[in-house]
Amino acid sequence: MNSEEKILDALKSVYDPELNINVVDLGLIYGIGISDNGNVQITMTLTTPGCPLHNSITSGVRYCVEAVEEVRNVDVNLVWQPAWSPDKMTEDGKRALGRW
Amino acid sequence: MLPQNLGSETNIKLPFSFIIFSLVALVVSQALLLFNGQMMTAGSFRIPAIWSAAHLLILGWALMVAMGSMYQLVPVAFLTKIWNETFGFIQFFVTGTGIVLFAAALYWSPQHAMIPGTLTLLGILMFLLQMVLTLKAQAKPNILTAFVGTALVCLFLTIALGITLIYCLKSGAAADYYQAIFKSHLLLGLTGWFTLLIFGFSYKMVPMFSLSHGFPMVQARFVFSFYVSGLVMALLSFFTEQSLLLKTGFFFLLVGFSIFSWHISIIIKKRLKKKLDKPFAFALSAIGFGNIIHLSAFILLWTPGFKDLIGPLVYTYILLWIILSITGYLYKIVPFLWWTFKYSKEIGKAKVPVLKDMMNDRIIVPVLFFFVASVIVIFFALVLKSVILFNIGQSVASITFIVMAFSIISVLKK
Repeated sequence: MNSEEKILDALKSVYDPELNINVVDLGLIYGIGISDNGNVQITMTLTTPGCPLHNSITSGVRYCVEAVEEVRNVDVNLVWQPAWSPDKMTEDGKRALGRW
Repeated sequence: MLPQNLGSETNIKLPFSFIIFSLVALVVSQALLLFNGQMMTAGSFRIPAIWSAAHLLILGWALMVAMGSMYQLVPVAFLTKIWNETFGFIQFFVTGTGIVLFAAALYWSPQHAMIPGTLTLLGILMFLLQMVLTLKAQAKPNILTAFVGTALVCLFLTIALGITLIYCLKSGAAADYYQAIFKSHLLLGLTGWFTLLIFGFSYKMVPMFSLSHGFPMVQARFVFSFYVSGLVMALLSFFTEQSLLLKTGFFFLLVGFSIFSWHISIIIKKRLKKKLDKPFAFALSAIGFGNIIHLSAFILLWTPGFKDLIGPLVYTYILLWIILSITGYLYKIVPFLWWTFKYSKEIGKAKVPVLKDMMNDRIIVPVLFFFVASVIVIFFALVLKSVILFNIGQSVASITFIVMAFSIISVLKK
């Protein structure tokens, strides 16, 4: 398992408490950047701007990635473009919503 | 003890202070209604005990819970922080004291309600200042700003007219306009403040709780235009006594509400979350009740029975539209507030409960079902002037409210 896979795996432990779906299956993670010295940048979004779980979810992402062995520093970059849409969800995420 | 605010998130003590106060006021107001049932069924709504209960219900419960919810929801909906949280706590103390003394004065000595009424007004003015300064910081105003901003203006006018009523009662001034002022006070408070506020926040909360995407928002402009026009026309008709203007106003209010119902149904159809949470579903059902009541009021306006039925209709509007909406959303907001401060620092580090686990789901459906059923029973008791039916309905409603209050407070044990 390479570093990116380990980080992605760790991110699956962060759940949106309203939807009970993890941030990866929800399609909130737009990118994972890893530098040679172990600095990680997570580019992510939320389902809606002003989401009341904003701080909780971004902090959760930081905590869980910091816990990955090779990681030294974590920067969470929250973006609103491109806006989140349902097609960004994984098949597991869609199933969890009971929609597909 | 409540946890301290450690970051930029809302200080839980602020919305919770309002919400806990409101739950106590709700229980007391229900007890007052229960003990004065005979007078209400005889058609005497405007007696000191009913004034006291009505103001405890509207100011102590609905207004305080709306204020508490706004302290939480305004930053969410308008992407701006509350202007000054410390000022918010002072505002809570002033408003809470004012409402308690005001309700007590209305019960025991209505002619002495002026000073506590003014204290309540001061608290509400402080709240308005807080909200105006908070909304002013919003980068890009939108249609939600129009709904919430107009609701705040209506709240100010409602309270100003309420104080005017007390002054008129005491001094005998403006006797010719007393009825018009009273009707305006009621209309602005119920449809101007509460309905516009629920409309505005529904446009944020409905998509959020149903995870709806790709829906149009153009209808919201029509909802706002029709509803506010209807409100203004009805207000003018009270002072000019123009029957056609009143009917046109009620028609516009009905059209505005109907477009809102239709628009929300469009948003719900675009949802990704197939199974909606029970409290949220009840909040949505309140829209249907509100629409039926608007339709009934408009139809009855053309009949001689309007004068006898408007009292029961207003009661039903308060309970099945305003309070059912607020209660449904409260069952979502309170667990969220508690979760945020108890578990937000744990997310990503340890397994945390989901919001659904914070509330006993099994109790919500019977509580809200009995709530709706008891209000319908009370409505018919008021129409049929049946004391027995009223006492049955009000007893069930009071027990339901107490269970509801405790079920909401029980979240704090999770």
